[in-house]
Amino acid sequence: MEGFLEPALWALGMAVIGAVVFGLLGLVSGTDETATIAPLTLLVILVGVPPEGVFAFFMAAISAKHITHAIPTTLLGIPGDTMAAPLLRDAQMLRELGVPHIALRKAISGGAVAAVIAVPMAVFFAWVITPFSGQIGAVAPWLFFAAAGLIAVLSKGRWAALIALLPFVLIVVGLQNFAIDALGKGLSISFFLGIAIGPLIADLFLAASPAGRATLKRDAPRTFELAADVRTWKGRMPNPLRVLDRAQLGSTAGAAVVSSATFVFSPVAMTVMMGELFGRRIKNGYQRLTTMMAVKNGTTESTYIAETLIPLIAIGLPLSPMAAGPANPLFNAPPVFTLNAETGATNNLHDMLDPWQFLVIGLAAVLIGLVITYPFAMTQAHRAASWIMRKVSHEAIIGAFAGLIAVICLYEGGIIALFVAITIGLVGGLLNKIFSMHTGVQFMGYYVAVLTVPAITALFAG
Amino acid sequence: MAQHYLEVWGDTVDSRHLIGSIGLGIGIAVPIYLLADWGFDVLTGGDVLAHSYALVAGLGACVLAAVVAARLFKPKRIIQIGTAHRGSREAAMDAIEEEMGLLGNPDELSPSALAEVKELGLYEDLRAQHEKNQRNAAKAEAQ
Repeated sequence: MEGFLEPALWALGMAVIGAVVFGLLGLVSGTDETATIAPLTLLVILVGVPPEGVFAFFMAAISAKHITHAIPTTLLGIPGDTMAAPLLRDAQMLRELGVPHIALRKAISGGAVAAVIAVPMAVFFAWVITPFSGQIGAVAPWLFFAAAGLIAVLSKGRWAALIALLPFVLIVVGLQNFAIDALGKGLSISFFLGIAIGPLIADLFLAASPAGRATLKRDAPRTFELAADVRTWKGRMPNPLRVLDRAQLGSTAGAAVVSSATFVFSPVAMTVMMGELFGRRIKNGYQRLTTMMAVKNGTTESTYIAETLIPLIAIGLPLSPMAAGPANPLFNAPPVFTLNAETGATNNLHDMLDPWQFLVIGLAAVLIGLVITYPFAMTQAHRAASWIMRKVSHEAIIGAFAGLIAVICLYEGGIIALFVAITIGLVGGLLNKIFSMHTGVQFMGYYVAVLTVPAITALFAG
Repeated sequence: MAQHYLEVWGDTVDSRHLIGSIGLGIGIAVPIYLLADWGFDVLTGGDVLAHSYALVAGLGACVLAAVVAARLFKPKRIIQIGTAHRGSREAAMDAIEEEMGLLGNPDELSPSALAEVKELGLYEDLRAQHEKNQRNAAKAEAQ
């Protein structure tokens, strides 16, 4: 019994922490998932939390964040994070109609329903592809190469993003060799952090240069319009299954299943596509807008859950945009979780937890995330959004992140690692800003540099 | 003196406050981390986990730095609490229909959606909008 109780308590405790921290972060508009979830998950891993706790933390974090991110998106009209962007226009229209609270209720109810469906579906699809995991692992270096190209071409940068992979990969290879020379080991965390907060680093460099400053100058502070607080239901708490009507439940569930299976596509793209697929044919405008909110927010949950679980359970290599981004530390967080670049051998959550544990812990953590954030979002949305906007300055958030990056880099490889992170962050941030080569493409670029490039070199050497 | 704002990472900041905040973040977190790293190393006699404890101390320091920065530097945002119906709903509906197509007849909604629309006080407006569109369509056809 002892052996069962301890991991269960870790999972429970970490899920609560993940849900609370990321439930609050979801309220802060513009907190990109990769930039926030990856570093904090990494931290949880590095401080020695057992695998069950790490996994529960992560699952509760993603499900909680994609509930509360709907609050700034619907009430303030600004996207809560990257995944909230596809919801923005529909939410704004409902806001203009004077019913932002309906947009919020539909969005979070859709999210709750989809999250609960996505966990078992993802475990099922992982089970389907597990027999092929050996073959997949053997060709992994080439899969990363293909995936990087595919994600690049499908990004807003199109062909520029694809071709820019070449210099980007070479820079990573060069920096990695520099780090190996200086430290006797390669770096990974510092690369991830640099890529994740690249847009911030690029903005800071622009702000520091007189010419760049001009492009960032604003005459007045940004104006945010917070929708009035309206409470329309009676009793304590609306049930997510009753907030959505039968057709919306069906669409949300359908989108959750479809988007769970298609784990190799970008979550943002899937969110847009699911909205089109399940919303476009609805004739009535009001019904279409509210269904879009439920389906799209549901998809933000299901893609995140499935794109994490399927590669984690079936393959052990970060072969999805999600796994290459926010979920990356679950696959690779040396010295605790490792990936061997040459052999493709893994020692990460894939090897430490069984499929039934992924199912049970995953479902429990998602439920904890929902139980903490759903009632909160229903009843406290207005007060919380207003408090954050008034009390927490953007400067404070940037300052905390600057400190966090510095500490984690120093932890991985001293001052050398910090220099590497700043370099890759500046390059990546500018590629992102100018060519729309988003962080997902860059994460894949990192894997091409450490997995595919050695394979290519071996090919020529042999 | 007119204050100048910069838009960094999606929101407006004051450049001096930004420098101050980053200085606080790095200035508090890095020394605490380095000190903790050294301290735990000595205390535990070189345990591998000492390095991780130092990381937790560093994270705590970041949170502390954020609290201090939030107290010192106030947000540069203007927040307006919206009134429920700013401007006319009709104008909003016209703009929405222009972008996304007709809102449609509320009477065609499923019973539950119809009840929802009525409860929200949207029914009358949606119906008026629908009738206006039908009149316009009839007029266009007649011409």
